[in-house]
Amino acid sequence: MFDTIKKLVNAFGPSGCEKQVAEVITQMIKDKVDEIYTDAMGNLIAVKKGSGKKIMLAAHMDEIGLIVSYIDEKGFLRFGTVGGVSPLIALGQRVVFENGTTGVVWYEENLENMKDAKPDKMYIDIAAKSRDEAMKMVNVGDMAVFAGEPVEQNGRVISKALDDRVGCAILAELAMKRPETDNEIYYVFTTQEEVGLRGARTAAFGIMPDLALAIDVTRTGDTPSCTHRPVVLGEGPAVKVKDSSVIAHPRIRDRLVDCAKENGIPYQLEVLERGGTDAGSIHITAGGIPTGAVSIPSRFIHCPAEMIDLNDAENTVRLLEAFVKAR
Amino acid sequence: MECRELLKKLCSINAVTGREDVAAQAISDILSPYCDEVKIDAFFNVIGLKKGQGENPRNVLVTAHYDQIGLVVTGIDENGFLRFSAMGGVDPKILGAQEVTVHGRRDLHGVIGTKPPHLISPEDADKPVKLEDMRIDIGYGAEQARELVSVGDVVTFKFPAIELKNNRMAGRSMDNRSSVAALVEILKELKRIRHDDNVYVAATVQEESGLVGAFMASWHIRPDLAIAIDVCHGDMPDAPSDESFPLGKGVAIAVGPILSREHTRACIGLAKRERIPYQIDAEEKDTGTEAAVYSSALEGIPTLLLSIPAKYMHTTVEMVSLDDIGATARLAARYIAFRDELLQEGDSQ
Repeated sequence: MFDTIKKLVNAFGPSGCEKQVAEVITQMIKDKVDEIYTDAMGNLIAVKKGSGKKIMLAAHMDEIGLIVSYIDEKGFLRFGTVGGVSPLIALGQRVVFENGTTGVVWYEENLENMKDAKPDKMYIDIAAKSRDEAMKMVNVGDMAVFAGEPVEQNGRVISKALDDRVGCAILAELAMKRPETDNEIYYVFTTQEEVGLRGARTAAFGIMPDLALAIDVTRTGDTPSCTHRPVVLGEGPAVKVKDSSVIAHPRIRDRLVDCAKENGIPYQLEVLERGGTDAGSIHITAGGIPTGAVSIPSRFIHCPAEMIDLNDAENTVRLLEAFVKAR
Repeated sequence: MECRELLKKLCSINAVTGREDVAAQAISDILSPYCDEVKIDAFFNVIGLKKGQGENPRNVLVTAHYDQIGLVVTGIDENGFLRFSAMGGVDPKILGAQEVTVHGRRDLHGVIGTKPPHLISPEDADKPVKLEDMRIDIGYGAEQARELVSVGDVVTFKFPAIELKNNRMAGRSMDNRSSVAALVEILKELKRIRHDDNVYVAATVQEESGLVGAFMASWHIRPDLAIAIDVCHGDMPDAPSDESFPLGKGVAIAVGPILSREHTRACIGLAKRERIPYQIDAEEKDTGTEAAVYSSALEGIPTLLLSIPAKYMHTTVEMVSLDDIGATARLAARYIAFRDELLQEGDSQ
């Protein structure tokens, strides 16, 4: 599992630029599925054919990032954010562009209050000595993502972009296992989740599944003096009750809980006050698609060092396998 | 059933937004006597059809959401107190000292406790209590509570509909069961009026959590006209007068950029002609109602929004006037039946 995760988090893929991630996944699973294609939004869709129910499993490929909005005469880059990037968390971070250009994020030091450190008071320094030199390296509109190598420690993983490459890794692992079932399984690696659950919307419309699950990370409530949240890292996949984008369909939620119980898989129930997943756009597609979600407990979401537990990831694969096999 | 009794019955049904599965059949049973057929879809939208008598009937969709705001359990602490979060727009200010039902393995009485004034320090006395600091007390300790309650169980407020003077009623879930009552009254009216078009009445789900049912109803019916019925703010002592409407003064007809100008004008014309009391509700934005979904669904659906004034929205004492429900139903039913002649009058002006 860690090897799969490692290959995926190392791919460059801010929202709208998910091609590298799609390529890595395609190489991993193309021989294990009956069909694999990309739709107009860039969603990568792999199908295991079957005569039973059409089940869509969605994990998003995109990660949060920064987009260059202006290059000044001294070669500093001004930027906007792509997805939910906290400016304070971006401060002092190393970021990397698709062509390998590395930069560091800093702020205008005359700010009196760090709370005012908004993107318009910040910049990226790519070690260019002038605008001309900078423009040989990057252009306005280019995107950068957090840099950093994934680490495994005590069965847990620390990395950028675990949101939601761990979900992609889980779906890839499941596809490679080729679960034996009559159901038709659509492994959907979606685009543009971080900018409004956009890829999943067209993918769901194109596929018109009978039911669907989103596989994504969720926040935990187990760190010092944090907000109360019912989910704990390492205590199993979280079956979503609701978040701000969706209330899980009660039948899908029950089916997930039953699958976990019948197969002795640890699970938790998740109520997330803020935050959305692809399930939010899938369930209101067409006349309504019964949709639920399985979440991988994660700390420090949208930071350059997110953390998940490998047991949770493995158990999510088991839970999904049981789910797609159920009648 | 008379409107008063119907509304009482509707308000007694528990349908927390997203958990309408337990209520759909009861709603269906209420609509059935007045419809040719009633279906419940995969998300528990309840859609009834009253067929038209015309040769080439068009489809008219009349909708009112039937979900209600509520709470959801997010944890059980070591003393058996239940933590919770909101389902839909719940104002923490109204929660203290409420009586609730926790829908666990079985239904359990509970109360939301508050700290007595004796134990509140002077500096905290004026501070509002936050939702995350409140707990539901069902009487049990942790062990027994955990046997019966789990994270994700929903919680409803207990406040049965009561009758007040002047044809008014108060209670929880008047938003939006008063509009569901209007759906039934519309169907009753349409028994007495010849109508050419097929009339679909939809009691929809998950309005309070993102207008969800409206997306589905549009897709199922693909109507030529959608009439959304919801509550608007009643007049209250400290409410802005341009955003609140007196109770008992009639149906509020919304006028605004997302709503069909032709239909709105014709509908106002009809209210005048039939002497049905009405008020004009200027909605400069997307209305925050299901009308926002219908008007831009599919290829676009001409949409009307009719509202029943309700005081104290999103509390357990929401108040409406039965007269306004009646006016809303009379206007909607007549508009469905007579709109073509009114639209033609509009063209000739």
